[in-house]
Amino acid sequence: MKPKKWLTTVAASVVAVSVLAGCGSNNNNGGNAASPSSPSASASESAGGKQFENMELNVAVFQGGYGREYWDTIAEDFMKDYPGTKINITASPKIAELVRPKIVAGNPPDFMYIAGSDNLPIINGLIKDKALLDLTEVFNEPAEEGGAPLKDKILPGVLESRSSSPYGDGQVYLAPYNFGVMGLWYNKTLFDEKGIAVPKTWDDWFALTATAKDNDRALFTYQGLYPGYLEEMIVPSIYSVGGQEALDQFYNLDPEFWKSDTFKQVWGLIERIAKEDNALMKGTIALNHTQSQTAFMQGKAMFIPNGTWFEDEMKDAPREDGFQFGFLGAPAFTADKPAMAMTNVEQLVIPAKAKNPELAKEFLKYLYSDKSVKLNAEKSKGVLAVKGAADMSKEFISESMYNVYKAVDEGIVTVNGAFKSVAKGSKYNPSDEIFKPISSIMNKQLTVDEYGAKMYDIFTDVQKELEQNGAQE
Amino acid sequence: MSMKTRRGLFIAACLLPGLALFLLFKVYPTIQIFQKSLYLWTGVGDEPKFIGLQNFVDMFHDDVFLLALRNTGFLMLVVPVLTLLIALVNASLLTQSKLKERGFYRTVFFFPSILSFVVIAILWSFIYHPTMGFVNSGLELLGLGDWAMAWLGDQRTVLWALAVTLIWQAAGYYMVMYMAGIDGISPDLYEAAGLDGATRIQQFFHITIPMLWEIIRVTIIFSINGVLTISFVIVSVMTAGGPDRHSEVVMTYLYSQAFTNSNFGYAMAIGVFIFIISLLLALISNKLTERGSH
Repeated sequence: MKPKKWLTTVAASVVAVSVLAGCGSNNNNGGNAASPSSPSASASESAGGKQFENMELNVAVFQGGYGREYWDTIAEDFMKDYPGTKINITASPKIAELVRPKIVAGNPPDFMYIAGSDNLPIINGLIKDKALLDLTEVFNEPAEEGGAPLKDKILPGVLESRSSSPYGDGQVYLAPYNFGVMGLWYNKTLFDEKGIAVPKTWDDWFALTATAKDNDRALFTYQGLYPGYLEEMIVPSIYSVGGQEALDQFYNLDPEFWKSDTFKQVWGLIERIAKEDNALMKGTIALNHTQSQTAFMQGKAMFIPNGTWFEDEMKDAPREDGFQFGFLGAPAFTADKPAMAMTNVEQLVIPAKAKNPELAKEFLKYLYSDKSVKLNAEKSKGVLAVKGAADMSKEFISESMYNVYKAVDEGIVTVNGAFKSVAKGSKYNPSDEIFKPISSIMNKQLTVDEYGAKMYDIFTDVQKELEQNGAQE
Repeated sequence: MSMKTRRGLFIAACLLPGLALFLLFKVYPTIQIFQKSLYLWTGVGDEPKFIGLQNFVDMFHDDVFLLALRNTGFLMLVVPVLTLLIALVNASLLTQSKLKERGFYRTVFFFPSILSFVVIAILWSFIYHPTMGFVNSGLELLGLGDWAMAWLGDQRTVLWALAVTLIWQAAGYYMVMYMAGIDGISPDLYEAAGLDGATRIQQFFHITIPMLWEIIRVTIIFSINGVLTISFVIVSVMTAGGPDRHSEVVMTYLYSQAFTNSNFGYAMAIGVFIFIISLLLALISNKLTERGSH
């Protein structure tokens, strides 16, 4: 008898181990096992006059500053309007970590809202892999029965930009969600009380160094550890000097950009900030975003670059008396050109391997309805990249935000864009290569000429890699 | 079935779950790292493509990687040496000097070891804060305001500033280990040395260090590896690799290649390289310190 007992023990522990081992790979199988069972049950049901083979939708959303309440509510509304459908929402600040294993296992969610710098790289990976569903037809179809196509509702320029159409072929792979406006901010109260005119050109702006000194502050500070924020001044300036052509060169990773006059003028601004007396707040380069933004709000600097999320982000931060957010955007180079601002648009995607793309597309369309735009403003305080969204959202967002969005709606010149993907396997990251060395320029340890030469070399290399990569495919 | 085989089976049954978990969560991922380092892979959904040793070749043509390696090397050299030296001196002072506040100091010095690395990093980024930080305000108070600078924002000082944080974090931990070791040394030795007229310093070099040698050998390896792992958190929070990558370390570079550049294969190659380097360092330091044990 006894030996048998031992065998059972061993057998039991083997079973226990395999159960434990099963946990590790559960992610891959669990989802698969669950979804095939549901469509058969409800395949024949109709929803909103439309038929869907699969009534279950798995949605993964980023839970950041905007929260998840909007997604929970809109999903419930959708389920009411399309009876029989079932939406499962997974929300997390680290959503990329949650969906990555599922994507790798070939079982991605049906619909994803990915944002936040920790998570966005996964989108870049999906773009590089061409693993996103083509959404062009969603935007070509009418928003409502017999109405104008959905794309007419979206803010102009958004669907054409690389953030929606990453391969530059006019096909939309990333649908726009909330949009933000970015540029320089100042303390409106200070400007009003002291009668300081808001600068129109960069020369006016630099002339304020003296005014700043009178008011016991530096002209400018930025999020030193993250020089990427400087794009909010640099990108509009590139457009202001060299137009769309120069901006395309910049975003297309063209090495010739780094020899152009546009480059010299725009980066000349950076050098001027580094060199002019009282222009850059002391110690800026060592500050993270919270530290520098707090310093700005406490009146240690007159201007700082940031986006429309600024007020919400810093709502608990200490500030100088009477502080009020004022938005400048980016000054122009000459007085005859308008002020500008940079926009960025958050992205919604449907993976190419989604189990239920049809329902995901329907859900996506649903998000652009007026009801949803309002709900989004109410629950998440975000503004969708839809025409007239500023007015629809007015009652829910702060005044400073509304003013910025209204200015965009009324035609302040906005620019946006995204870098072309580098070759698969390339070790370069355009944004890092371009913005990180700016710290050295600010430290006066690198001249703009040296920097330009370095960039030229890097982007020549990047282009070479792209060519080789193209040859392989 | 004899008693012996039954015993063997029982032991095997007890070991099996642990062994299985170890294989699954330690050995298998490690093998994966080695395997994936030979592929071109974005780490998302594509099929990995075999490219042989290309990732390793690229590594030595990558200026940023080489800079990161240099920075890591600097930290791995400076931090363990100073940490262990400070820990040793403190441990010997606290055990030998019969201070009344001994227990108190022991706790205070050990304190950083129980704080999370993120907390330590945030704490120190405020200590180094260019305008309201403790360091610069202190200098100004002493009339040395001209010396104040943005410690984390200047490529000449940033690594030293990080090294201080790393030393502060680890010194207490090793001190406690050494104190335990010193408590194990027979007091007779010190007494005899004292009678023979050996000074405290002579006792330190001729009794404490030789008697602790085995512990010191282990802590050298711990400390070198500690720098590798802890530097990731400290650098991410305090400098984000800045200014202009002058505080980038291999672990932060690995992470950014894997997760922001979707270059998983390359990142794994860096991982393999670090693995080999730390293994080599451990072997070398073991060999170098071997003589001392005789």
